[in-house]
Amino acid sequence: MSVECGVRDAELQAEVAAGINLCEGKTTITIAVAGNPNSGKSTLINAIAGTRLHVGNWPGVTVEKKEAVFEYEGKRIRLVDLPGTYSLSPYTQEEIITRDYLVHEMPDMIIDVVDATNLERNLYLTVQLLELEIPVVMALNIYDEAEKKGYAIDTKAIEETLGIKVVPTVATRKNGLHDLLKAAINLAEDPASHHPKTLNYGGDIESAAKFVEKQMKNAYPSLAEKYPLRWLAFKLMEEDEGVRGEINVRIDALQIEDAVRHLKKAHEEDMESIMADARYAQAAGLTWEVLKRPELRKMELTEKIDRIALNRFLGIPLFLAAMWFVFKLTFDVSKPFADWLNAMTSGPFKRWAEAIVGLIHAPSWMSSLLTDGVIAGVGSVLVFVPVIFAMMFFITFLEGSGYMARAAFVMDRAMHAIGLHGKSFIPMLLGFGCNVPAIYATRTLENPRDKALTALLVPLMSCGARLPVYVVFIGAFFSSHAGTVLWSLYVMGIALAIVMGIVFKKTLFRGEAPMFIMELPPYRMPSIKSLMIHTWEKGKHFLIKAGTYILAVSILVWFLLNLPWGVENKKDSYLGQVGQVVAPVLKPLGFGNWEAASSLMAGVIAKEIVVGTMGEIYVKQAEVEKNAEKPAITDDIIDMGTSFVTALRNSAENVFSTFRIASLSTQEDEKRVGLKSVIQGTFTSLSAYAFIVFVLLYMPCVVVAIAMRQEFGTWKWFGIAFAYQMGLAWLVAFVIYQGGKLLGIGG
Amino acid sequence: MLKPGEKGKITKIGAIGPLKRRLMDMGVLVGEDVRVEKVAPLGDPLEVTIKHYNLSLRKREAEGILVEVVS
Repeated sequence: MSVECGVRDAELQAEVAAGINLCEGKTTITIAVAGNPNSGKSTLINAIAGTRLHVGNWPGVTVEKKEAVFEYEGKRIRLVDLPGTYSLSPYTQEEIITRDYLVHEMPDMIIDVVDATNLERNLYLTVQLLELEIPVVMALNIYDEAEKKGYAIDTKAIEETLGIKVVPTVATRKNGLHDLLKAAINLAEDPASHHPKTLNYGGDIESAAKFVEKQMKNAYPSLAEKYPLRWLAFKLMEEDEGVRGEINVRIDALQIEDAVRHLKKAHEEDMESIMADARYAQAAGLTWEVLKRPELRKMELTEKIDRIALNRFLGIPLFLAAMWFVFKLTFDVSKPFADWLNAMTSGPFKRWAEAIVGLIHAPSWMSSLLTDGVIAGVGSVLVFVPVIFAMMFFITFLEGSGYMARAAFVMDRAMHAIGLHGKSFIPMLLGFGCNVPAIYATRTLENPRDKALTALLVPLMSCGARLPVYVVFIGAFFSSHAGTVLWSLYVMGIALAIVMGIVFKKTLFRGEAPMFIMELPPYRMPSIKSLMIHTWEKGKHFLIKAGTYILAVSILVWFLLNLPWGVENKKDSYLGQVGQVVAPVLKPLGFGNWEAASSLMAGVIAKEIVVGTMGEIYVKQAEVEKNAEKPAITDDIIDMGTSFVTALRNSAENVFSTFRIASLSTQEDEKRVGLKSVIQGTFTSLSAYAFIVFVLLYMPCVVVAIAMRQEFGTWKWFGIAFAYQMGLAWLVAFVIYQGGKLLGIGG
Repeated sequence: MLKPGEKGKITKIGAIGPLKRRLMDMGVLVGEDVRVEKVAPLGDPLEVTIKHYNLSLRKREAEGILVEVVS
């Protein structure tokens, strides 16, 4: 595509699509986008940059960082999305990231996204941004809603009072975005046009700040090169630990205490509060001047919805109904596609690969590596993609619509009891379908402690992949009490999550629980574009980042199972050998044989593989499949198409069928019937129950491990999950087996 | 403590440290009008209106905020 610099298309998207690096040698205008959570900042960025957004993490933390480089009117612009914050205090990760970026990276300007319906609280951040002495352009967003509420906002007056350009925008409808970018470019081209006003925080504060500034100039003149001095004076007066540590000067030499002593005395407050008050006074004063609210406030839609949604009696049933719906949609909509992908990789793709390998007369081990290792590995990555797309879509929808905050509000009391946050409920619930999307869903929790604790407990939720294992064992031993036994496993997972939650709260996560203080934003229809971009980004990330790891592990397990090449007996394969070593450890649990140990180890890829591996080990492989006639490539391709259409239809049908839980269906595989009789011979009902409890609790599968690594940027949390779950699984299975033996049950 | 539907003017914020700063950042300031809208179905947290928006906070976090009731 050849797009010349300076060519201006009619469509915003087309210009943005002009892409990266087409105009080498031009200076890039770096624009940081800041704003409150729920100010529509995300929608605004998505509307401007669209698919050009590059999503990553801020270094060292799990907070998402979005960036885009694109051309606009011949200028190269780099947009950096800062985390949504209410303030620049030094307490939350988001605030620290925002502040550090602005102070140290010094972008050319800030686009401050302000929610026009919530002017005062948003201006409080604006006031703080102005202290940094970086040029600011204000996007007065959600302007349509403010008008609908009957708000009259005098944008000229804001411009005059603050000395910055104000552009009304409606990001969801892309209104005002051209004007916003133009204003930004004008400002970059002609910085002299920018005359920001210095807001006066009151005589006593200002004179104290002046004094501190003077002291700094005298004692440490180099500070002025690195920091806006007035801002630095405020931070030092507020006793901001982060800033104090960072500037590395002798604080007492600056005589700050002298400067603030009388302030503290006069206000009978600490300096942080005095400053917050002064800043809010500016925001409130400005709001009072520029905003006219209608005399009569009508009852708004949000209020009407919340009367029902947060009602004392209806709140919880409605929440549970909503969650049931989300759970069902996430798993039922994605399931047919996952099945389709699974059928494709294990069917046509595998056959084609075999055919190609056959053509070049490759040795049989290579054929096996390719089909059972690589293609099976690719398959196990692909099957997760639909569910991750679906989960991300619904989570983003819940967040964007404003219901996520309500969900947290309704559930917080219960979740808080085990040290979690109200929002933890959703990842935990998703965990019953699949732990992988559940781990990714923890990103809805802002606080790192809440997030980590939730992720540690998610694997105790019995996921869909464990069900096939239960089904085989329950069918073999407990068919008369199938429901009760199955139910006991799910309940045990939940009960242990509660116990472990309390244990973690008192050990690993000792100390004050994070605050709950949270805005309940108005209900809004999230923009489809934002939904799509978030969903796509997450799915793509999973495919690329997690996919690589999963593939590698899958190939590794193939090697373990099949090497040394040509082993007749699985017992002599590496996996079998390791199984023999591990078996004694499992002896007190009632299943200390190499077959069980090896199957459990193979289950690290996905717990359902435990059953498959047992089938391979216990039952002589059925030769039927190999003799079956192989379909031609054309048949395969036609089949791919028709089965995809079937998947689409099933997916759509699942949305409407209310009672069938596709993701938890307990249909029996014919092949597993043979396995049943074998395990009846090797397990007792007691050791069988101990075994399925072990499967419920032992380490999360590899994909969960990788999801944890990806979400937290470190293996630490997976390490902890691995250790405690192994211990817990062993302990509980031990108690069940030995306790049962003592009581003389099922010996 | 205010009951749902009651309004008050904040007279003192008893909290300290990060909690106090966070409350103030969210607009919970001395002299501000606050109205308790709802209590969550399980009895905690609360929903209040302050500075024309809705804020939720746990009762423990609201404990130190003193108000004088406005009818």
